[in-house]
Amino acid sequence: MNGVHDLGGSDGHGPINPEPNEPVFHAEWEKRVFGMFLPVAACGYFNLDEFRHAIERMGAPSYLNTSYYEHWLHAFETLLVEKGALSAAELAARQQQIAEEAR
Amino acid sequence: MAITAAQALAASASDGGSTRLEVDVAPRFAAGDRIRTRNINPRGHTRLPLYLRNCVGVVAADLGVFVFPDTHAHGGDQKPQHVYSVHFSAKDVWGREGGERDTLVVDMWDDYMDPV
Repeated sequence: MNGVHDLGGSDGHGPINPEPNEPVFHAEWEKRVFGMFLPVAACGYFNLDEFRHAIERMGAPSYLNTSYYEHWLHAFETLLVEKGALSAAELAARQQQIAEEAR
Repeated sequence: MAITAAQALAASASDGGSTRLEVDVAPRFAAGDRIRTRNINPRGHTRLPLYLRNCVGVVAADLGVFVFPDTHAHGGDQKPQHVYSVHFSAKDVWGREGGERDTLVVDMWDDYMDPV
C-alpha cells in the first residue's frame, strides 16, 4: 500500500537527529514489547509480513505521532484481535485498567 | 508439523529470521540484465518502494529464492521466487536532483520487475 510508512524520497519531515549514545530501549515497556515478537509469531498468530502490514495500516496521523515500539504494540493488538486471540472488549478493558492504575 | 516457540527462537537466532527458501525456482533474470520495475500500487503489503516504480535498473546479482512478502502478508502464500540485487542510477530514480555518481542498490523480488 502507498502509505506514510514508505518515507523514502518524501520531504518535510525535518532533520534526522540521532541521539548520542542512544540506548537500545528508552523504557521498560519497550523491552517487553520487543520480547513478545518471536514467541507470539512462533505461536502462529502472524508472520513478519503480516506484522509489517499491520503497522502500515495504522493510518498516517497515528503512525507519525507514535514511536517505534508503539508501532509494534499496535501491530500485536491489531493482529491478536483479528486472529481471535483477544477480543476488542478484553483489550479495551485491560487498557482501561492500566490507565486507572497509572492515575 | 507446527514448530514450537523454542524452535522458532533457535532458528531465528541462527539465521536472523531469514525468509530464504531451499526450493528450485527458475530465475527470470541474471546478472547484467536490464529491468524495469512495475508500476504496481497494491492496496495490500509490498516491499517495492514508491520511488522505485517504473524505473530502469541493472541486475547485479541473484540472491536466491525467498518468500514473497506481498502474498505472504495476506493469507500466508509464500509464492517462492528469486530476489536480486538491482542497481539503479540516482539520476534514473530522482531525475536532475539525483547525484551524478550515485547508485542505489536495492533487493528486488522477481514479481516487481519486467525485462527491458
